[in-house]
Amino acid sequence: MKPIITLLVLVILFVLPVIVLLLTGLAPGWRFPDVWPDTFSLAGIAYLIRNHEQILTSLGSSFVFSLLTVLTTLCMCLFPAAAFARIEFKGKSMLEGLLLTPALVPPMTFAMGLHFLFIKFSLAESMAGVIIVLAMFSYPYMFRALVAGFQTMGEDYRICARNLGAGSLAIMLRVELPLLIPAVIAGGSVVFLVAFSEYFLVFLIGGGSVASFTGTLFPLLSSSNRSLAAILTLIFLFLPIVLFLIMDTALVRLYRKKGMS
Amino acid sequence: MSWTTSLFLRLSPLILPYLVLFCGGVLLTVCQSVGVLTPLPHAGGALDAYAGILVDRSFFASFAFSLGVAAVSALFAVTAGTILAYRVWQLPGKLSTAALVYKIPLILPHIAVAFVILVFWGQSGILASAAHSVGLIQSMNEFPNFLYSGWGIGMVLAYTLKGTPFAMILAMALLTRFDTRQIQTASMLGASGLRIFYSIVLPRLAPAMHTGFIILFLYNFGAFDIPFILSESRPGMLSIHVYNLYFKHDLARRPEAMAILTIMFGFAVLFIIVYSRVVRRLESGVRKL
Repeated sequence: MKPIITLLVLVILFVLPVIVLLLTGLAPGWRFPDVWPDTFSLAGIAYLIRNHEQILTSLGSSFVFSLLTVLTTLCMCLFPAAAFARIEFKGKSMLEGLLLTPALVPPMTFAMGLHFLFIKFSLAESMAGVIIVLAMFSYPYMFRALVAGFQTMGEDYRICARNLGAGSLAIMLRVELPLLIPAVIAGGSVVFLVAFSEYFLVFLIGGGSVASFTGTLFPLLSSSNRSLAAILTLIFLFLPIVLFLIMDTALVRLYRKKGMS
Repeated sequence: MSWTTSLFLRLSPLILPYLVLFCGGVLLTVCQSVGVLTPLPHAGGALDAYAGILVDRSFFASFAFSLGVAAVSALFAVTAGTILAYRVWQLPGKLSTAALVYKIPLILPHIAVAFVILVFWGQSGILASAAHSVGLIQSMNEFPNFLYSGWGIGMVLAYTLKGTPFAMILAMALLTRFDTRQIQTASMLGASGLRIFYSIVLPRLAPAMHTGFIILFLYNFGAFDIPFILSESRPGMLSIHVYNLYFKHDLARRPEAMAILTIMFGFAVLFIIVYSRVVRRLESGVRKL
């Protein structure tokens, strides 16, 4: 009995919204007081196909800047995370606390100040500017994941590789990074989702010039045609899921090929 | 090369962007709040913007409102998330795969979660239709106006829906390392399910709950996306207030927007410090098993 209640609560909280979104998307004329739509139509999907260029552009743009944000955070955090996991120094916990604050304080507080700087250096309304701001706000997730990854990996591989004559860059790129892939994926997925679903920062720094999926979705949410907004929201949901599934299978295959699983 | 220099070099990919972009960004916000480096030359005194805010009662109303919405929704999310995580953890193996649906709101962007709340809780929404079909209401005006009640109920609902899976993930991470024998022992000694949850499970999950509360509370306090869709006009969330000052009013009011941001930043930092101190003190008083 107890498991059924648990699952029921989960379904009502988290699955029911998706079902309702699906119905809203397929039945543009669904209105109060119908509990179930009268008629279904593909008008929303037809609109989507008519405007596929704009939607695909914004989707592609969101995808590119989110992936680049993940890469940027990885570059920022890789060596510092190794140092944090292995070296004890005075003020380390203090420094760690400070380095994690950008994920905690309201991002508006530093992004609006930075906006001024970005206008001066013509980074505003550019994809580079958007990536920099998103990376500054989301790197703590990558950092935490990598520090944990380095701690579980230990130092044996590195010492072994060094004894065999590898330089520190080769150790990092060819020995440690492949072993860190699960940690990179764990941190990277969070960074990706944060970047992919952010509306305000992209709007503030990107202005009108950097297309984003949230930017395309936003005006539709408050419009009277809810069916379109629902369909786009569903795309939003399924795209990352597909991406994670592909990555997961690829990873399992890679490990099996190398005989590591 | 000395040891300190080498350490600094290794940390520099993180520390330099942190100093330049994060600290620099905050510094620029503070500068503009006192009238330095503003788009328009600032005429008045350095603290004019702060003086203006601190006599403005609507600022305090907004501040209190933001605090309330953030605290209530973070509390709901952490409570629901912790209980649900414990229940999901107890599910038999096969069902626990099905329970992965809890990750759905994690993927949905904040604006989409706000949209879900709009579709469900609006006066012409799904719940209103359901209430009509079972005869609770006759017309849509009889359905309580949850979203525009002036209490921020819509935002609390959205933040709770978005925050619950997040709190669940944090709790799950601790539960996977949990020793089930402690629960078995307690139940063999006759402890009830509720007693086990309060005396054994909850203390172990406390760190995840504290982390979750800090993150969700501060995010809800200062974020823009959900209030922009669901907020009511007065009292509004601080972030909307800042947005209006920044984008909709003339440039002369820029210091005001920045002063509010500075106050929000100061509050967030203060909150992190005080909260973690209090938690540490509370925990040092608890007997460790």
